[in-house]
Amino acid sequence: MNTSTSTAYPWAKWQESFVTESFAYARRLAQLPTLHQRSQLVKKGATSSTVVYEEDRLKLLHYPGKQPPRHATPLVIVFALVNRPYILDLKEGRSVVNHFVERGFDTYLIDWGSPTYADRHLTIDDHVNGYISNVVDFVRERAGTPQASLLGYCMGGTMSAMFTALHQDRVKNLILLATGIDFSTREGLLNLWARPEYFDVDKFVEAFGNCPAEFLQMSFLMLKPVQNLLEKPLNFFEKADDPVAVNDFLTLETWLNDNIPVAGEVYREFVKYLYQQNLLVQNKMPVGKHIVDLRKITCPVLNIMAKADDLVPCAQSMPFNDLVSSRDRKSIAIAAGHIGLAIGGKAQRDVWPQTCDWLAERS
Amino acid sequence: MNEEQDGTNQPAEQWMAFQRIWGETFSKMMQLGLTFSPDSAPPDFMRQMRSGIFQALGQSWEQFLRSPEFMQAMKQSMDSAIAFRKATNDWFSKVQHETQTVSRDDIDAVMLTVRHMETRVLDRLEELAARLDEVTGHDKGNGRHSAAAAQHEPAAQTRAQKTRSK
Repeated sequence: MNTSTSTAYPWAKWQESFVTESFAYARRLAQLPTLHQRSQLVKKGATSSTVVYEEDRLKLLHYPGKQPPRHATPLVIVFALVNRPYILDLKEGRSVVNHFVERGFDTYLIDWGSPTYADRHLTIDDHVNGYISNVVDFVRERAGTPQASLLGYCMGGTMSAMFTALHQDRVKNLILLATGIDFSTREGLLNLWARPEYFDVDKFVEAFGNCPAEFLQMSFLMLKPVQNLLEKPLNFFEKADDPVAVNDFLTLETWLNDNIPVAGEVYREFVKYLYQQNLLVQNKMPVGKHIVDLRKITCPVLNIMAKADDLVPCAQSMPFNDLVSSRDRKSIAIAAGHIGLAIGGKAQRDVWPQTCDWLAERS
Repeated sequence: MNEEQDGTNQPAEQWMAFQRIWGETFSKMMQLGLTFSPDSAPPDFMRQMRSGIFQALGQSWEQFLRSPEFMQAMKQSMDSAIAFRKATNDWFSKVQHETQTVSRDDIDAVMLTVRHMETRVLDRLEELAARLDEVTGHDKGNGRHSAAAAQHEPAAQTRAQKTRSK
């Protein structure tokens, strides 16, 4: 330790800091008992919507906006099967949906609902050639257009890519957001943990039926255990006396803990065919009776990736543009995480306006 | 599979890997202590120390979570959980059968039967639609629908539409 400069910060300054921090600490502690009550007041979803279509547990939300749509082609947002979709409409100033609505797109969002044990036999085919197909047909009929644009997030993006490859005639534009396509990378921990020598997905699904929400939650937590279990609570405590920061934290935490199970057969197919055998990128992915060939995708594609994504590493999304036959292909990669790509400040300022511009030119 | 290698060595290897990780973490933390100057303001100094410690911890944990020892431990834990769950399921099924009530396995069997029937019916409808397309000269697509057929298809071809509202 360098003692010669100790006179620059005499003992009094340290003492003063200690007293100030103690008062700040007490102020933050005083906020803690109100946290539970404040968390109950968190609103799920910011933009007004109506349910226009239902099928089994699926609900299709329509965001009418204040003005009639300015673009002919409707946009269907396909969320993942893990967690709830309101992350894309989290709060004012942090809403992907609102960007599209404000720019005049006729916007729809698929809420998959929460599968029960009765849904354990649902497959990727049921979702792609069943639910998504019916939703797209409904939206096309409602909007009076032959095609719709799709935006898929994470697993929803993977399913949107499969749907587009199988039904290209019905898709005008395809936007993928943090979407896993090539699962051969060993960057992500999930890719390592899902290896067949360490994880027998058949036995898992046979024993548990659906993949439990708690199991998924624990897996995601363990991707960054120090950050999630130590750093995050401490950082939150430091801002516990800032109502805006607390509201942001509680809103995001509400979503993070609002987990749902994944239907057993879908989970089995995702793990086996994608994570373990990586069939999609080889154009051998079976969906029902059909094989998905990504080369059949010819519509304009926009591939949005997060460089600091631990769940779906950039390397898992990046190859997509080279696998399709589209001439109009674009990628955007930003320094953000899996969720920050949707709701982060940089994404809200740069990515979503850019995406709206791209889609407006092609709608 | 590594059943032949299971034995007394595995827990010891896992423990050694865990120890190694913690040893590296502490040495990184010690290095952090030497780089910081006491001239910085106290709260900032403490936050920087904390951030450095968490960074060192995070890196070490990342390495550990990728190690074969951790993944082997995870596999054992998963296998145990699956075996326990299966044993519980089997026991409950047995109890329910003995008391002549319906068990989850019975419901599963019925559901699977219904699904197979549904799949056969839908596949048959798809074949008929394809033949109709051939006869009427419409465009064919993959899957259960195509752009042209979608305009003319009967409602029965779409999957279980319980509610549709505008």
